[in-house]
Amino acid sequence: MRLPPFQYLEPTNVEEALSMIGIHKETVKIMAGGTDLMNRMKLRLIEPAFVMNIGKLRNMDGIDIGDTETVIGANTRLKDIAVAPLVNKRFRAIAEAAFQVASPTIINMATIGGNVLQNTRCMYYDQSGIVLNGLERCHKRGGTVCLAVKGSKRCFSVYQGDMAPALIAFDARCVLEKKGSIRTVSIAELFTSNGVAPFAIGADELLTKILIPRPEGIYSSAYRKLRLRGSVDYPLASAAAFVSVANNRKVSAFRVVIGAAGAAPKVIDGTSREADVEGIARKAYDHAEGVDNLKMPGAYRRKMVSVLAKRAIQAAMDGIKEGM
Amino acid sequence: MNEMKKTAITLSVNNETYDIVAFPNRTLLEVLRDDLHLTGTKESCGEGVCGSCTVLIDGTPVRSCLTLAVAVQGKEITTIEGLSMGEKLHPVQEAFVNHHAIQCGFCSPGMILTSYALLAENPNPTEKEIRRAISGNVCRCTGYAKIVEAVKSLAEEGK
Repeated sequence: MRLPPFQYLEPTNVEEALSMIGIHKETVKIMAGGTDLMNRMKLRLIEPAFVMNIGKLRNMDGIDIGDTETVIGANTRLKDIAVAPLVNKRFRAIAEAAFQVASPTIINMATIGGNVLQNTRCMYYDQSGIVLNGLERCHKRGGTVCLAVKGSKRCFSVYQGDMAPALIAFDARCVLEKKGSIRTVSIAELFTSNGVAPFAIGADELLTKILIPRPEGIYSSAYRKLRLRGSVDYPLASAAAFVSVANNRKVSAFRVVIGAAGAAPKVIDGTSREADVEGIARKAYDHAEGVDNLKMPGAYRRKMVSVLAKRAIQAAMDGIKEGM
Repeated sequence: MNEMKKTAITLSVNNETYDIVAFPNRTLLEVLRDDLHLTGTKESCGEGVCGSCTVLIDGTPVRSCLTLAVAVQGKEITTIEGLSMGEKLHPVQEAFVNHHAIQCGFCSPGMILTSYALLAENPNPTEKEIRRAISGNVCRCTGYAKIVEAVKSLAEEGK
C-alpha cells in the first residue's frame, strides 16, 4: 500500500516543532516512530496535509530516573524502556508493557509518546477503503451509526495502547507544550472516553515528557495482556496492577487499570486496604465493555479483563514477596 | 488531494551514498527496491507485521515499510546486499544455507538481518532470546526450527 501525498516537516528542536504545529494545527500529524501513523495513513483513515517528524529531536528522548520522579522523554523508544534495569526494578508494569507492545523490530521504532496517543481501534473502522466503501459511515467516520453495536448513538471503538494503563497504575503525568505555554496533566486526564475523539489535547499541543512519581514504601507492579499473536497484536484485554504494602506487610494501597475495555483505560477503584482480589476482578468485569469489534468475541474479552486483573494483582504481590 | 513536492534525499546504504529526488511519501522500502534496485529487501504485508522488509538502521533492525526514506537521511542503512562480502556469504547467511533454514527465501533477508543484529548485540543468545528476536519475522514455509538451529550454531561457534 502506498502512502497518500503530504508535505514533510522536520523541526530541529522542540521550539521549532511547536511553531510548526501552532501554524498547521489540525492539518499536521506528528510522527515519532511512525509504526502506527504510517498504517493509518496507508489505510487512508487519515490524509494529513503535513507530516511532522519529531523522531530526531534528541532532547525529547531518554530516561532520567530521579529520587522522587522519573522523567521519560516522549520520543523514548519502547525497547529502551523495556530493557532499562531501573525501570524494570522500580516500575515493572511499565517495562512489561513496553516489552509486550510488539516484536523487537517494532519496539525498536515505536515510542512511548506514540503508544500513549494511539488512536482507538475497531474492526469496522481500521480497514482499507475497499472494505469501508461497502459499510455504512459510522460515528468515527463522521456518520451516525455504530456498526459494532446496532442502534448505538455513540462510538464503541477501543483504546488498545499498552503503555497508558501501566502509566496510570503509577499515577503518571505528562507534559503538554504549545507555543508560549506548558501544562502538566495526569495520563488518565488525557482521555475523553469518546471513541470518536479519544484525546483531550489541542491540535497545537505536543506531548514532550512522561513524569512518573516514585511511590513510597514497599511496592511492586505488573502488566498482563491478551492477544492472538504474541509478537504483533494489540491487546484484546489488558490489566496493570500496582500494589504497595505497609511495614506490617498488609496491603496499604493498590490500583488496577484495565485496557482494551473501552475508549479509555479505566481505573478500577482500589481504595480498599485489603487485597480483595475477587472483588477487584468483579469490578474490572463490570467496568469493561465487551463489544464484538476486535479479533475475539466481546464477551470473552470482558471475562479476560477480569482474569488479567487478578493475574496482574497476583504478579505484583509476588513481586513484593520476591523483594522482601 | 494534498499538495506534494519532490525533494532531494541523500541516503547512506551499505556504505555507499545515494542521491535521489523523490516524493516525501515514499517509504524506505519503496526507495530501496524501486530507485536503488536493492531488491533483496522484500515487501509482503506492508503494514509492519511480517518482517520481510526488515533492514538495519544504524545497526538496529526496523521495518522499512513503515519508515519514510526522507526521515532516515544521515543514518547508516544496511540491507541484505550489504551483509555479504562480494561473492562470499556472511557467516549468518552461510549458517542459514548449511542448516537448510531457507526454503522459498522470501523471509530470509529479514530473518538474516534480524539474526545478525541479535548476534552483534548478544553473541551467545539462548534459544528463548533467539525466538524472541525473530518473533517479528514471519516464515510460512521453512519453519522456525531450522532457522533457530542456524542462529544457535553461530552462538555456539561464537561467530
